[in-house]
Amino acid sequence: MAEFVQLVIIGLLAGGVYVAVGVGFGLVWGVLNIVNLAHGALVIIGAYVTWQLFTAFGLDPFLTLPINAVALFVFGYALQRGVINRIIRAPLLFTFLLTFGINLIAVNVLLLIFKSDFRSVTPSYSGQGLELGTIVIPYIRLASLGIAMLLAGGLAFVLNRLRTGLAIQAVAADREAAQLVGIDLRHIYAVTFGLGAVCAGVAGGLIGMIQAITPTAGEPYTLQAFVVVILGGLGRVSATVVGGLAFGLIEAFAQSIPGSGSVFANAIAFGVLVLVLVTRPQGLLGRLR
Amino acid sequence: MLRKRVAIVGAAFFVAAACGGSTPSTTTGSTIVLGAPLGLTGALTKESTLTKQGYDLWLDWINKQGGINVDGTKHPVSIKYYDDTSNANQSAVLMQKLITEDKANFLLGPYGSGATATDAAVAEQNQIPMVEANGAAQSIFNQGYKYTFGVLSPANKYLQGVIDMAATLNPKPATVFMLSADDNFSLEVADAIVSYAPTKGMTVFPVKKYKNGATNLSAEVQAAKAANPDIVLNSGHLQEAIAINKAAKEQKLNAKIFAYSVGPSTPDFISALGKDADYVYDGSQWTPQVKYKADFYLTVQQYVDAYKQKFPGVGDPDYHVAESTAACLALQRAIENAKSLDPKKVRDALAALDVTVFFGRIKFDNRGINLTKPMVVEQIQTGTHHTVFPPDVADAKPMFPTPSWDQR
Repeated sequence: MAEFVQLVIIGLLAGGVYVAVGVGFGLVWGVLNIVNLAHGALVIIGAYVTWQLFTAFGLDPFLTLPINAVALFVFGYALQRGVINRIIRAPLLFTFLLTFGINLIAVNVLLLIFKSDFRSVTPSYSGQGLELGTIVIPYIRLASLGIAMLLAGGLAFVLNRLRTGLAIQAVAADREAAQLVGIDLRHIYAVTFGLGAVCAGVAGGLIGMIQAITPTAGEPYTLQAFVVVILGGLGRVSATVVGGLAFGLIEAFAQSIPGSGSVFANAIAFGVLVLVLVTRPQGLLGRLR
Repeated sequence: MLRKRVAIVGAAFFVAAACGGSTPSTTTGSTIVLGAPLGLTGALTKESTLTKQGYDLWLDWINKQGGINVDGTKHPVSIKYYDDTSNANQSAVLMQKLITEDKANFLLGPYGSGATATDAAVAEQNQIPMVEANGAAQSIFNQGYKYTFGVLSPANKYLQGVIDMAATLNPKPATVFMLSADDNFSLEVADAIVSYAPTKGMTVFPVKKYKNGATNLSAEVQAAKAANPDIVLNSGHLQEAIAINKAAKEQKLNAKIFAYSVGPSTPDFISALGKDADYVYDGSQWTPQVKYKADFYLTVQQYVDAYKQKFPGVGDPDYHVAESTAACLALQRAIENAKSLDPKKVRDALAALDVTVFFGRIKFDNRGINLTKPMVVEQIQTGTHHTVFPPDVADAKPMFPTPSWDQR
C-alpha cells in the first residue's frame, strides 16, 4: 500500500514538470497554430539562466525564476516579432521547418557557450524531503509541482481576466474578426509566443534542479509537451494540467512494472495517447474546435 | 598545417645539407590520413569531445616526432573529423565518405558501441583497419570482422571488478540490485553481473531495465528501495548515473555500495552532484593512478602532465581520453611493425600486436578484443577519484560501507 502511495506521489510530482513544460507549448499551438519544435530549446535556455544565476551569484534557484521569466519573455517576444511572424500564415510545414532550425541554432549556441558539460543546480536542500513513515516527498519536486500549478493558474488568469489575454483568445477564435475590432495581430502573436517562452523558461529552471542538464537535454521535452497537450486537449490550460499529471502517473506506473517493463514506459504512455485519440479525439478535457 | 609541412621538409633538407650531401637516415613521406566520425553535437557530445582530446593529444606528439616511421621514412599524420550528430547511421555514412572521398588510410573509432557497430561494418566492407577505443559491446566483435580492433576491455568486464572487490570486504555484501539501460552495451554489462555475482556467493535480484537516455528514474529507484539490497549497480551512461544518484538521495535508497558502469569517472559527475557524488564506485578502463611500464610514448605521469598542459583547467584526463590515445598508439605501432601503409599488412600487424603503453597491455584476441588489460575500480572520496581495486594498482582503500543519506 505504502509503495502504491509512493508511486502515485512520484507520478504526480513528475507530472508537475510536464504541466509546466506543456502549458506554454499548448498556448503557442492553440493560438498561433505553431507546433513549436524549439520549445525544448527554450526550456533548456531557462535551465541555463537559472544555473548561471545560481552559480555566479549564489542566488536561490527558486528566486531566479522571476528573472528567468522576464528574460525568456523578452527573448520569445523578439523571436516571434522578428522571425516567426514573417511566415505565420504559411503552411504548417514552414513553421515546422523554421522552429526546427531555431532549435538547432539555439542548441549549438548553447554548446558553444556552455560546452557539453553536464550541469546541475544543487542548493543545500537538494535531495532532501518530507518523510511520512516510509513515504518520501522530495522538497524540490513538491515545490516544482506547486510552481507548475501557479504557472498554469497565472496563465489561465491572464487569458481569462486581462485585456491582453482576452485579445489572445479573440485572435485564437477568429483572427480576421479580431483584426477588424482593432487588435494588433503582430503584437498579440509576439505576446503569446513570449508567454509560451515564459512557461518554458520557468519549467527549465525547475528541470535544472531536478536533473542534470546539457544543451541537448531539451529535446525530449518537446515531444513530451506534444503528448501532454494532446492527452489533455488543446485550447484550455486546465486540460494541459490534467494531461501533464496523467502523463506523469502513467509513466510512473509503467516504470514500476517488474523486469524490463519500464523499457516500455514510453510505449505505454503513447499507447494511452492513441487510446484517448480514438475514443476522445478532443483530448481528456479539450474543446471541440 | 602547410606551414608545419614546409617546416618538416625544410628541416629534412637542412639535415641533408649538414651531412655533406650524404643520404639522410630518414626522409619525409606522404601524409597519413586517419578518419574519425564523432558525435560533436547531439546526445554524446561530452564523451565524443573527450575522445577527440585523446586523439589530438597523440596527433600533436607524433607530428612533433616527424610522423610515423614506416621503414625509415617518416610520414606526418592528419586526422579528418566529421560530426555524426551522435547518430550511429550517420556515423557509418561519414565513415564511408572518409574512405571514398577523403581517402583515409586508416580509421579511428567513433564514440559509443552503437556507432562503432555500424562503422565496423563499413571498415570491413572496404577492408580498411579501424582501431577503436569507445565501443565495448562484445556484439561488435562477434560478427567475424577482421578489420576492427578495440583497445578497451569489453563490456562484460565493466562491473565485475566491483563484485570482486565487494567479495573482499567485511561484512561481505550478499545481495545485488542491478539497474540497466536497454542498449546493447549496458545489457552486456548487466548480463555479465547476473551470471558472475552468484559465483562470489551473492544473490542478484531480477534486472530492472529502463529506456536508454532516461532522465527520470524515480520509479526504478523506488523498486530498488523495495528490495533493500546491499549493492546497487547501474549499467548505463553518465546522464542516467546522475539521475539514479539524485533519485537515490531523494527516495532515501541506502545501500552499502553504489557502483555505476559509466559516469562517475568523468569530472561532470562530481561537478553536477557535489558532495552527493562521494562514496560512489565505478569500473574504469584506466585511472591516472595506474602503474603500467610503457614500452613507448609517455609514462602515465607524463601523459597526465601532457594532457593538463594541452587542456588546462579541466583536471586529470579520464579514461575516455586515455583509451582514445591508446587506440592511436596501437595503430602507430602496427604501421611501424608492418613497415608499410598497405591496409592488409597493417591489419595483420594489428592482429599480431603485443605492446604495453601507459594505458596497459594491448593484445587482441582473434575477434579483435583486448582481453589482456584489467579494469580497475575507482571510488569518489571527498570529491576526488581514487583507485581502490585491485590492491596492486590502488592508491586508497575503499570507504565502506557507504553511510546512509541522513548521516552524510
